[in-house]
Amino acid sequence: MERIVLVGKPNCGKSLLFNQLTGLRQKVANFPGVTVELKTGQFDQFEVVDFPGTYSLHSLSKDEEIAVEKLNLAVDDDDTRLVVCVLDAARLERSLVFALQVQALARKNNKAVVFVLNMIDEVERYGLNIDIKALQKELGAPVYALSAKTLKGVAAFKEALPSLAKQAQAPTELNIQLGEQRKFIERAREINAEYGIRSDVVLKNQNRIDTFLLNNVLGGIAFLAIMFFLFQSIFTWAQPLMDGTEAAIGWIASALTGVIGPGIVSDFLNDAIFGGVGAFLVFVPQIMVLTLIIGVLEDSGYLARAALICHKPLSLFGLSGRSFIPYLSGHACAIPAIMAARTIESPRKRLITMLTIPLMSCSARLPVYALLIAVLIPKDATFLGVFDLQGAAFFGLYFFGILMALVVSTLMNVFTRKSKELKDMPFILELPSYRLPHWKPLFQRVINSGLQFIKRAAPVIFVISLCLWTLGYFPQGAGLENSLLGKIGHFIEPVFEPLGLDWRYGVAMIMSFLAREVFVGALGTMFGMSGAEENIAGLAAQIQADGLTLGAGIGLLLFYVVALQCVATVAMLRAETGKSRIAWGLYAGYGILAYLIAVIAAHIV
Amino acid sequence: MKTLWELKAKQAAVVETINSQLTGPVISRLQEMGFSKGQQVVCVRRSPFKGPLVVQVGDCVYSLEQAVAEKINLALAS
Repeated sequence: MERIVLVGKPNCGKSLLFNQLTGLRQKVANFPGVTVELKTGQFDQFEVVDFPGTYSLHSLSKDEEIAVEKLNLAVDDDDTRLVVCVLDAARLERSLVFALQVQALARKNNKAVVFVLNMIDEVERYGLNIDIKALQKELGAPVYALSAKTLKGVAAFKEALPSLAKQAQAPTELNIQLGEQRKFIERAREINAEYGIRSDVVLKNQNRIDTFLLNNVLGGIAFLAIMFFLFQSIFTWAQPLMDGTEAAIGWIASALTGVIGPGIVSDFLNDAIFGGVGAFLVFVPQIMVLTLIIGVLEDSGYLARAALICHKPLSLFGLSGRSFIPYLSGHACAIPAIMAARTIESPRKRLITMLTIPLMSCSARLPVYALLIAVLIPKDATFLGVFDLQGAAFFGLYFFGILMALVVSTLMNVFTRKSKELKDMPFILELPSYRLPHWKPLFQRVINSGLQFIKRAAPVIFVISLCLWTLGYFPQGAGLENSLLGKIGHFIEPVFEPLGLDWRYGVAMIMSFLAREVFVGALGTMFGMSGAEENIAGLAAQIQADGLTLGAGIGLLLFYVVALQCVATVAMLRAETGKSRIAWGLYAGYGILAYLIAVIAAHIV
Repeated sequence: MKTLWELKAKQAAVVETINSQLTGPVISRLQEMGFSKGQQVVCVRRSPFKGPLVVQVGDCVYSLEQAVAEKINLALAS
């Protein structure tokens, strides 16, 4: 198919233009281990490819290198008919540096170029205008002024696009060669001096809002308020959606098994497919809600400010200011948090952030904490006479997770400092203008985040779920205690002995690899209770009567803070880092660390 | 010579050179982002505890951390 390539600097409104051209049907191509996303959509008979926003053809990181490599290939490709360079009309100089480089690249490959002067509405709002005809002559290529937001000029551009792509333009004289880096900068400055609008006019609004949002006191309060809202919304908005998904899966499961009738097939469908794979679909709404909120923050321009505010404290631990939102999100669920880490500019800091996110106490740990705290701490006990001891224990566990994450990230930072592959990017962050987010690109992102998660995690979860089910089910009718899994539990009981735990806990811990909250239900089964998830107090009483020691209990709690007992997270880490070695290595590493901490706790308490 | 890091809030200056301690690609990126010789820069704000500074360069506003800002040498504004 004939192709149109769309490029531009970050924050130039390119994604929205892409959406206005192609509508809502688009495909996203990802590349393992990097954040590069190429979006493809259809306009007329053309395939439109949206490249990630870039400042330059000279790459700094692996991500940029791949993006630039793909761009080179696309411009060189015979099917490519036209390269569209999107410029920010209010920031002509900055957007021209990259656009001129792309123009030179296109010329080298004999490809036609057209410039889009996007966000022309902002220029007009200040009562200014840009001489398009003269600019066209200056650039030696057609220029279309439009606003992807207000749709002004978009129809005219759409109409012209097919003919622009069809007629191969006679290449204009080559005035700058690709290697002459400085000349692009000088040329951009010249053109801007002639045609650009005054920057202080554009930046006045932005700076005025920043006086408030970056203020040491007021800005801090605004930051806390926004983060509190974000955190709340993951729980409160996502909860009904999660419950709905769970109910729907349960309904389908019972309808289906009702038709089939009892037997091994029905057990398999119910427990392995709907119970195992279904349990992970429950996370999809949470992932989408979180993606939506982070998307709003990013498109409005606040995300960059949040990163600026958090940068200094987090840099002490080898993290970036952009690590804050992933860390915060990690308290709901590690998967969207790992996805959110994509916004971190430095590959090394991104990796460190992703690898420490699983230490945040996510919502799947809550049932485990609730159960064990109920076992260990009497209900009306107080701490320092005022605080509820159970509540204080919850807080302590969250705090312990964050502390561990900061310790681990500091260590990882020290050990990866010399790595050539993980280049550290300097912290240079553009503070874009504040804008109202547009729903179209947001909608795309939200849908994609859900699909990506399903595509990446489903296969691994299916396999693990199948294995655990088989081990727990056979020999048929024996019950969990006498199943293969039970036998394995008995066999490896010596492993759990130093923790002060017997084989029943061991089996529940193995089963909770599917998802941490499975621990509660599995342990309930071992204690002869069904539906323990709904009756945590009852199970807690049974465990108390059974005599779980305080040391073993605290050890078990700390084990769940640290251990990476979540197959979906491992699958996501594998996809995002592009390396199984890292994902499974981290699983083993946190497993061993958690085990050691639990052993120590069991012996000193 | 002053560096960008020493600029106080509301102070303006002109970019002179970029310290060659930074790697070549980072220097050219900074130049492409606007920190090229002769470009006027204005410090918009300073963050407490030596946090990143906010600087206006031509038509863009950037936030830079100390490690980068102290590698950008300035000539005093005319």
